[in-house]
Amino acid sequence: MTPADVEVQGLARFFGSGARRVVALEPTTFTIATRERIALLGPSGSGKSTLLNLMAGLDTPSAGVIAWPGIGPREALRPLAVGMIHQFAALIPTLTVAENVSLPLVLAHRPNEDAMREALAAVGLLDFGDRLPDELSGGEAQRVGIARVLAHRPRLLLADEPTGQLDEATGQSIMSVILAHAARNASTLIVATHDAAIARQMEIIWHMNHGRLLDRTRRAAT
Amino acid sequence: MMAIYWLKSLLRTAAGPTAAAAAGIALAVALASVLGVFVFSATATMTERAIAHVPVDWQVEIAPGVDSASVESAVAEAAVAQAIRPVMYAKVDGFSAVTGDTEQVTGPGRAIGIGPDYLLTFPDQVTLLSGTADGPVLYSQTAANLHAGVGDTINLARPGLPDAKVTVSGIAAIPNVDSLFQAVGVPAGLAPQSPPDNILILPETMWHSLFEGQRAARPDSVRAQLHIRLDRCRVPNDPVDAFGAVKHMANNLAARLAGRAAIADNLAARLDGVRADALYAKVLFLFLGSPGVVLAALVAIAIAAAGRNRRRREQALLRLRGANIIETLAKPAIEVTVIGSAGALAGVVLAIAVLRLIGISVASMGASTWLGFAGFAGLAVAAAAILLPAARDASNLTVATARLCADARARPLWQRLWLDLALLALAGVIFWRVRATSYEIVLASEGVAQTSVHYEAFLAPVALWLGLGLLWIRLARLALTDGSPLCRRILAVSAGDLAKIVAASLSRQAGRLARGVGLLALATGFAVSTAIFNVTYDGQAHVDAELTNGADVNITGSTAHPAGAQLARIRATPGVAAAEPMMHRYAYVGADLQDLYGIDPRSIGAATTLANAYFDNHDANATLAKLAATRDGILVSQETVQDFQLQPGDTVNLRLQSASDHQYQIVPFTFIGVAREFPTAPKDSFLVANSEYIATATSSNAYEVVLVRATDPAAAAMLKSALPSDPALKVTALGEVRSLISSSLTSVNLAGLTRLELAFGLALVGAAAGLVLGLGFVERSRSYAILKALGASSAQLGAFLRSEAIVVGVAGLVFGTVTGFGVAWMLVTMLAGAFDPPPDTITVPYGYIGVALLGAAAIAAIVVAGFERAHARTDPASLKPE
Repeated sequence: MTPADVEVQGLARFFGSGARRVVALEPTTFTIATRERIALLGPSGSGKSTLLNLMAGLDTPSAGVIAWPGIGPREALRPLAVGMIHQFAALIPTLTVAENVSLPLVLAHRPNEDAMREALAAVGLLDFGDRLPDELSGGEAQRVGIARVLAHRPRLLLADEPTGQLDEATGQSIMSVILAHAARNASTLIVATHDAAIARQMEIIWHMNHGRLLDRTRRAAT
Repeated sequence: MMAIYWLKSLLRTAAGPTAAAAAGIALAVALASVLGVFVFSATATMTERAIAHVPVDWQVEIAPGVDSASVESAVAEAAVAQAIRPVMYAKVDGFSAVTGDTEQVTGPGRAIGIGPDYLLTFPDQVTLLSGTADGPVLYSQTAANLHAGVGDTINLARPGLPDAKVTVSGIAAIPNVDSLFQAVGVPAGLAPQSPPDNILILPETMWHSLFEGQRAARPDSVRAQLHIRLDRCRVPNDPVDAFGAVKHMANNLAARLAGRAAIADNLAARLDGVRADALYAKVLFLFLGSPGVVLAALVAIAIAAAGRNRRRREQALLRLRGANIIETLAKPAIEVTVIGSAGALAGVVLAIAVLRLIGISVASMGASTWLGFAGFAGLAVAAAAILLPAARDASNLTVATARLCADARARPLWQRLWLDLALLALAGVIFWRVRATSYEIVLASEGVAQTSVHYEAFLAPVALWLGLGLLWIRLARLALTDGSPLCRRILAVSAGDLAKIVAASLSRQAGRLARGVGLLALATGFAVSTAIFNVTYDGQAHVDAELTNGADVNITGSTAHPAGAQLARIRATPGVAAAEPMMHRYAYVGADLQDLYGIDPRSIGAATTLANAYFDNHDANATLAKLAATRDGILVSQETVQDFQLQPGDTVNLRLQSASDHQYQIVPFTFIGVAREFPTAPKDSFLVANSEYIATATSSNAYEVVLVRATDPAAAAMLKSALPSDPALKVTALGEVRSLISSSLTSVNLAGLTRLELAFGLALVGAAAGLVLGLGFVERSRSYAILKALGASSAQLGAFLRSEAIVVGVAGLVFGTVTGFGVAWMLVTMLAGAFDPPPDTITVPYGYIGVALLGAAAIAAIVVAGFERAHARTDPASLKPE
């Protein structure tokens, strides 16, 4: 039996203490199997980003346990095994678009110009390689962030509002690219969104609100 | 309300960087304050220090037949004197004393009469060695001549009167015997006026009872003087102004006296002698002190300006929300208030602590003014560094442009105008012009009230320093831009296979990094140049001491009591490695009286150092060999060569005094070479010849001086114990002379100034390395968080941090060291007049430079390690845009 990509037991995240404590994520338990396509649906402030950060290994839980049995220990998650598309384009301002996209591969000592070009082409920014982040629009920067993840073909792909700064048409196009990439590379895909249209493209929908995972629904196969 | 909001926000989110910026301002304010107060204090006490050891300010000699009361009245009317004391001088044909079975008879001498409070007013005139001063006190040399002691009776042979007898009540030294017995009112340049060997000091009443009759019988043998201490409140703090003021007062008194008396102006003579010293002290403050203040301001500006990108983005956000330009400046204004006030206050407190530590009072109005000014200047610099760019950005940038983070890619105006090369050219032109004046930056000719200082020469080292700083910025930017291969090769050491991407990242920050290199280079250059100048000056002071004293120990007697007579005893004293006798006579070269030194050129080098630089041919051994081979050979000064148009081999006829009949006679010498310096020789012209030839020519083989090379620092003390108690013999150790030289105005001021600057120099280098790097890292915290989020290991993150530190650190320290050497060389060359003698090369304090460089490297390493540790764990919150 293939080990799960993510296993969570009583996972919770709080900020602050005492009367000022904020519960960003209430204790929750779940398992994510490999190759699952999950939409994390909920309004702003529902805890989607917090949950994604925990699953990406970027944050440490306040309570509970999280493991990645199918991938490895926390140290093995990055730079290649897990790819996170952030809500805000997290680009390094002193590196060009090409350098930003190549960065995870370079950090993993596996530079690959072809992969970088392929990823840029997939998001329609092949000619933007020499530009600096401050020369990009918000949407372009978002797409570079997406390309950066696609370039290293992660096993676990987490996307936090990946089309938040894109117009509808571009957003749909980019979502198709992400889905195709996940399918081609057998990646597990978890997308946090408040866009129902995106959610409908995923096989499992999780609803979140007020830091609580409300329900998990598997959509019928079409 | 908004101000409180911004204040809370600043303290909550940027407490560390704010504190660091305030610390940088504090350091700059402290340096400027300490330097300013030091200069003020040193300048305010220059005259006081210069004239501290003048025993009697004026000696007014009353003309024969003039009523002394009228003269004293005229002096009192001039209202310049704090104290007036009469002193009577009487010639004595000789002293004699019978001790045991022998009678000792001396040659002519003097008997002086002083009032009961004379020694209270002028305590430095007489040092009582034994007995009491309430009766006749015998000069120590006279006591030695007569073999007389306290209680003995001596006979005075009075001209025109029968002999008188007195009983000695005390024996004393007269430290200022030359001044006490100077000939007042005679033209300068006559034959040297030696003080009498035989002196008796009498109470005023006793003097009158013994010599009033002589005054009537032989009025030419008695004179009266008034010894005057001026009201020092009337003497300005600046020795140059003080010289003029005292001369005016003396001229005014001379006009009042209308020929009734002549004035020996000892105070003006002393001030005249230190005018050049005082001017050099002031010039050194300017040349060495002001770059420190400029550097402090630059460091303060760099540190305060470190958060410019963040402020720009914040202003853009506020403008996006509808704030006007004034409202957007509110937060920067709060930053200025916090950083500037805290920094200024801490800087003033630090300055007060440092000044107290070095014993300088801050209680005076001048010191308080400097402290206040420096504190205000720190606040103003912080305001200028923060508010001016903020206001400019708010006015000139669109909201969109203001939100950009990238380093400005356009070359700054100074670079387009080639200001760096222009400044270097300016430095070269001014240096070349100063060179044409033989580096006479200060002109204060002896006896001439006029002085001049070429302050414009100061522009040369400043232009060199700033020009080099800008040049390094240009070169650093050039090397960093576009991830140059050179840069990548250097970074491969710290970044390994990340070198290419690290170089690329650094290339986009070329402007900021180059400015960091420039600032670190200026700070390092300042510290290095100050250290080199200080050590070179110290080294020359040691050479000066060696030349002044002649050797480790100098034993000087007189022709009548030569030190050479004790040569065997000296050589046998423990701690003495070698002792060589040397004659010190006087000879007329034309009408010019010069010091003449007689040596054995084959052996003199055993006891003293004769550097090649002392001789015009730069070869001491060859010169001495030539002197040894030429019995009547003589070395003269360059001035003598020019005055008399001498060629090697020319005969030089000198007039030397014969010991047999005390008459001057012509003695021929052969000119064989030029001596620029010689142990114990004066600064002006002197002569060196074979002692054997001089002895034959003058019928005297007395060696007045013995030079001693010692192996034991206590040799001088041991020699003093070993030698017979002869007041004519004076033993001086090199250390004593060194202390005296180190007490000159320039030496004292330079020592204090450089001590401060060397300490602050280290602190500024550390601040430039640490704070500039650290604040830069803080500005790019988000980038490091992104790197960590992408999976960079600690080592990989460290590669980015270390590479920046290495680029800025290595370039800054190397460029700075080069700058320091260049500026030091220029300062030492231009300020040659401050050195005695001027150095041939600079002396390098490798220890201090090593400490500065290693210290800066260590601080940079600590900052890098600190940031590596701070970013060891990812923090999703720090990924959000600011």
